[in-house]
Amino acid sequence: MVINMNNAVEVENLRKVYEMHKRNGFFRRTKAEVVSVDNVNFSVPEGQALAFVGPNGAGKSTTIRMLTGILTPSAGYARVLGYVPWKERSHMAYHIGAVFGQRSQLWYHLPASDTFDLLAKIYNLDKVEYRKRRDELVDRFRLGPLLDVPVRKLSLGQRMRAEVAASLLHKPRLLLLDEPTIGLDIHAKQQLRELVSEWNRKEGLTVFLTSHDTGDIENVAERVIIINHGRLVLDDSVENLRRQYEGLSLEEALSHIYGLEVESEETEDVPELQAVG
Amino acid sequence: MNCLSKYWAIAVTSAKSNLAYAGEIGSRLCFLGIILFIFMQLWKAIFANANVAQFQGYTLEEIIWYLAITECIMLSSPRVTPLIDEDVRTGAITVQLVRPMSYPLYRLASNLGEQAVRFAVTVASAGSIALLLVGPPSNFGLGLACVLLALPLALVLDFLGYLLVGLFAFWCEDTSGLALIYSRLTMVAGGMLMPLDLFPEAFQSLLKGLPFGYIVSGPARQFVHPDPTGLGALLGFQILWIVVLALVVAFVYSKALKRIALNGG
Ligand SMILES: Nc1ncnc2c1ncn2[C@@H]1O[C@H](COP(=O)(O)OP(=O)(O)O)[C@@H](O)[C@H]1O
Ligand SMILES: [Mg+2]
Repeated sequence: MVINMNNAVEVENLRKVYEMHKRNGFFRRTKAEVVSVDNVNFSVPEGQALAFVGPNGAGKSTTIRMLTGILTPSAGYARVLGYVPWKERSHMAYHIGAVFGQRSQLWYHLPASDTFDLLAKIYNLDKVEYRKRRDELVDRFRLGPLLDVPVRKLSLGQRMRAEVAASLLHKPRLLLLDEPTIGLDIHAKQQLRELVSEWNRKEGLTVFLTSHDTGDIENVAERVIIINHGRLVLDDSVENLRRQYEGLSLEEALSHIYGLEVESEETEDVPELQAVG
Repeated sequence: MNCLSKYWAIAVTSAKSNLAYAGEIGSRLCFLGIILFIFMQLWKAIFANANVAQFQGYTLEEIIWYLAITECIMLSSPRVTPLIDEDVRTGAITVQLVRPMSYPLYRLASNLGEQAVRFAVTVASAGSIALLLVGPPSNFGLGLACVLLALPLALVLDFLGYLLVGLFAFWCEDTSGLALIYSRLTMVAGGMLMPLDLFPEAFQSLLKGLPFGYIVSGPARQFVHPDPTGLGALLGFQILWIVVLALVVAFVYSKALKRIALNGG
């Protein structure tokens, strides 16, 4: 196995099978397996912005949870910034940032500035460095007037800006975002995309973003990986994808690609849910 | 030191966040007043009926002050179980797990911060109610010193019990039933209504073998009957139980983490 030190993320034959117990009648319990991520291979060079795209249930969140070390894969290998995530989670934590679209890391009843101060302690940040970084983030994310308002009073768009800023305080080299634009209005979506993209270009931050919104791909990513039913179906530059589907919108291109998947699946006939006992 | 300051910061942030609940605290005061008033009437009747000035060395005043303290402990008891439940059910635990910190210690720190606020408010109100009802306790200075020493470990011990119950959220859908049973056990076996010395002998020795008395009755008793040797023994038992429960928590938590790792939150 060749380990390329310039890769922020390396994934080889990564696989995740969830085991579920189902009750069948009163006494019988059957075990069912859901293959959520199915022998996935890819790597992300440092500084790249990658969109990890797929429909609901494709396995995007499961992949992110393995890369953040919360889930242990059923098989395969991954290295994130040189760490094996599920073995070195707390060491790796100092170098990665994570934003989960539907969950907040900000203290709900307190102003965002309080969460920022707390994160500075949790990540052992130097006081002076922290203040500099915070002021810079507040400025670039235009959080100034929002900083002292209790988080519960912020709009979702404002809150998400604060969430992303919070995840950048400790200067992570890799930012993982799981559907960060979900539920936002067009304007707020665009603002967030521009900020993430700007940080990627100016700071060399590696971005791993999951989405099923083509706008996220177009505005943030230089490369796109499409996952469906746990398997990679496409891995290419956004530019190539556009060229290949010239005349179609990215949205249409994606439906076309998902459609191809469905057709090939009908012939292969791989059941997604396998009963094993 | 870095590590300690992390969790200290969490406690302070949590205390700050809880200062926001003024309304809730107000309603708690009413509740407290009513409970104390009812129990006082009850004990008054008991004392009058028996026609005695003391029960096993407790005067009516001491019983009321004892009740005031146990009420404070019970009413500020940790609400960590539903939080863990929610963290696990909604998957919000992910947000905590991607940080360089321990989830149980994060919950402990956050809870102690919250409890400090809740306890301060309930103590202020329970204290004034008891003061109005029966006047100041007889051995106030020494009692205060003893109870202040006995409380922190009692609160940590109480937290560990609820944390353990909460960790079952990783295995069952809803832990609120278990939490209710646990809190009732703390109330009854902990001696919320009367000092453990007033229980029948056989029962007493059973209760002294359980952790609950060292959470509720122990500290409250030190306030009305301060006694340095008793305090030493109390602290010893608190530490012993904290070590035991911490070991159990560590074990269950490691199983829980494996469960997330295998099956998701
Ligand atoms: N904890 C779990 N237990 C069982 N199956 C799960 C669990 N989490 C996700 N799955 C299944 O794994 C598949 C991929 O889910 P997920 O990674 O959340 O997809 P996405 O984020 O792309 O929508 C889905 O079929 C989902 O039902
Ligand atoms: Mg998802």
